Amino acid sequence: MKKRILIGLGIGSLLFMLLGAYIIVTVERATSRLDQLVQLHQVEILREHLLLQIKRVQTDLAWRGTRYASGVDTIVSHGIQMGRMVERCFQCHHSPQVTEDLVGLKSQTDQYEDFLSHVLTLEANRPRREAEQDEAVRRGQELIAKVNGIIALTSRNLESNTREVFRQIAITKTMLFILIAMAPLILMTLGFLFIRALTNPLNILLAAVRRLKGGSLNHRIDGLKDEFGELATSFNEMAGSLQEQMQKMQRTEQMVVVGELAAGFGHEVRNPLAGIRAAVNLLSEELVLNKEDRDLFAQIVEQVGKLDALMKGFLNFAKPPKPKWERVSINGLIEMTIDFSLVSHRASSPASDRIDIQKSMGEGLPQTMADPVQLQQVFLNLLLNAYDAMPQGGVLAVRTRYDAYKDSLCIDIKDTGTGIEPEMLERIFVPFVTTKSKGTGLGLAICKQIIEQHGGSIEADNDPAGGALFCIVLPVKREKEEVQTT
Amino acid sequence: MLRRRNTKKFWVALFLCLAFVSGCDTLEAPAPPKPLRKETLNIGLLPEHNIFKQIRRYEPVTDYLAKKTGVHIRLRVLTYRGNVIENFQFLKLDGAFFGSFSYLLAHAKLGVTVLARPEYPDGTSSYHGLIFVRKDSGIRTVRQMRGKRLALVARATTAGYLFPSIFLKRAGVRNPAAFFREIYNAGTHEGTVDDILDRKADVGVSKNTVYERFAAENPRVNRELLILGKSADVPENALALRRGIKESLKVRLLNALITMHEDSEGAKVLKAFGARRFIVTTDADYGPVATYTRELGIDLTGFNFPAEE
Repeated sequence: MKKRILIGLGIGSLLFMLLGAYIIVTVERATSRLDQLVQLHQVEILREHLLLQIKRVQTDLAWRGTRYASGVDTIVSHGIQMGRMVERCFQCHHSPQVTEDLVGLKSQTDQYEDFLSHVLTLEANRPRREAEQDEAVRRGQELIAKVNGIIALTSRNLESNTREVFRQIAITKTMLFILIAMAPLILMTLGFLFIRALTNPLNILLAAVRRLKGGSLNHRIDGLKDEFGELATSFNEMAGSLQEQMQKMQRTEQMVVVGELAAGFGHEVRNPLAGIRAAVNLLSEELVLNKEDRDLFAQIVEQVGKLDALMKGFLNFAKPPKPKWERVSINGLIEMTIDFSLVSHRASSPASDRIDIQKSMGEGLPQTMADPVQLQQVFLNLLLNAYDAMPQGGVLAVRTRYDAYKDSLCIDIKDTGTGIEPEMLERIFVPFVTTKSKGTGLGLAICKQIIEQHGGSIEADNDPAGGALFCIVLPVKREKEEVQTT
Repeated sequence: MLRRRNTKKFWVALFLCLAFVSGCDTLEAPAPPKPLRKETLNIGLLPEHNIFKQIRRYEPVTDYLAKKTGVHIRLRVLTYRGNVIENFQFLKLDGAFFGSFSYLLAHAKLGVTVLARPEYPDGTSSYHGLIFVRKDSGIRTVRQMRGKRLALVARATTAGYLFPSIFLKRAGVRNPAAFFREIYNAGTHEGTVDDILDRKADVGVSKNTVYERFAAENPRVNRELLILGKSADVPENALALRRGIKESLKVRLLNALITMHEDSEGAKVLKAFGARRFIVTTDADYGPVATYTRELGIDLTGFNFPAEE
């Protein structure tokens, strides 16, 4: 949108600049033409004056010798003015043809002046005087004819020039009127387009927000571009997130209900189960049973034990105990858990000796407030899972480190087992999801629950080199207050 | 802030306007200075060649003088036609650029006094008269001029009247009017050259300066004309002022003229005029002309001009 606004403003400014420039150039050109025309008219007037001046001198000559004759001084003055007018003709810029004509005119005027001077100064008999005067008058007439010719020619040119200039001015005027009339229209159109480009996406967004408010969480915005497109993407993401959170909330609510039901149910079931186990144990001790029956009784006790363990885990998950916070050293806790897990696993699996445990414990890790028992439960669960994933042995790598940037502790537990099937990766922390034949599917779900209770996160992934990798991130909590706010 | 500043500016402007208006009411406005009426000198110009060209040639000089002396100078044409002295009086001239003979006449009749005359780039400040004919006319002696047409300049000129009169007298021509078929005054020195070239006359007279200037412009002069005689050197046309002109003005004019070449503007004007400088001229410079008048028995105070036909 910003780009669009800039482009719009740029186009608008450019249009106005072009319009302004056109108007300035047009006005300048029109005034220049008018100026040229005025100059041409001035030249025309000058030539008319020259003609009048020559005629005045001719009149002076004609009256010469009569009682109406002007004085020599006056005639000379008229002649001088005539000469000056011819000189002025050269002050304007002319085409070579006109300049040539003017040079001819100047030469003719000079000759006329010569004859005039001669007539004015001559002292001779009447025939000689009259002959000189006639010659001067003849030259004057020729000069008048020449100037008349030039005037006629220039008048024609002037007339056509005037017509052309007026025609061009009329065109210019029309163009200016059109442009001035069009400018508001262009402005309005640009404004309308601009407002529409701004309001349309806003309306779409507003409608989407209203629909979201109305509960249509699956509504998405399409077709918006630029910043509005980004806003729409954010909106869509927000709607998606809301939908997901809503589903989670619904599930959590369901789980809470299920948990409460399960807690009650578990409590009610565990008591009869204890009774059943005690009764079966008693029967198996008091009755004389053959081996097959005794094995059967043992299986009943075992299954009841399993049911009890399941119920216990179920209760644990559905109604987890509150963490008991104390200052904990993660490295120490893990070391201890590894030792315990090895002892525990060695008892059930002879392959424990073939497992190489590689520890990379970060130095100077800060202590954090945590429930050591719960964390130990998590680590133990992950370690035992890793042992189970490597029945033929392998490498178990445990690494701890401190992320100063996030002020968090990172614990990675990696095995070289078969890894987690890709379709299981996303669901591995979901309750009752398990790949083990004897598993309840609650172990990892409880781990996740505990870690999240500590304000951390746990992720599972497959190591490209083979095996599964679990990464736990625990924020460092230094004070009790931090724990309480979690 | 801006608004406050603008308001402040408004009050300052209003105060200044009021002060100006009240000042106009209370103070007497100084009366505009009356333009001083410039003294005007009417200076005559005796035609030597085309009078229009001559005025255009002399105008820069008189404009320069006017600028330097603070006097308005008006150039007027003083023709030889009729009586040049009467023309001088009729036009109410204060002075003129007189030729040598016309100066002697004006000095004798009106008491004009000469101030200065130009000196040309070659160092000369004088001219002489010439008598010339067309080369193809066959005229080579005065005797061969009998029955021909003589073009003089004017009676009040040295080169155009005194010199040919002496020339003819010395050649034994006692009555030129009877010797020549026609004698007339062309009115200018250039006019006689023109007339001989155009075969309007057979024998012409002129001053050498005009003849040579014309020859420089028109190659026909040297190609077609032949000079048969020349006079003694006499002073070039000089500025002379009438009696009654204030001495201080005369001194100002003289100083302006003789220092003209020292001033860059003046030097430029002089160059266009065709002179190197102006030099002081006195009556003593007119000795050769006085000799001519004596030889011809002319009484300067009683010299009359013939009435036009």
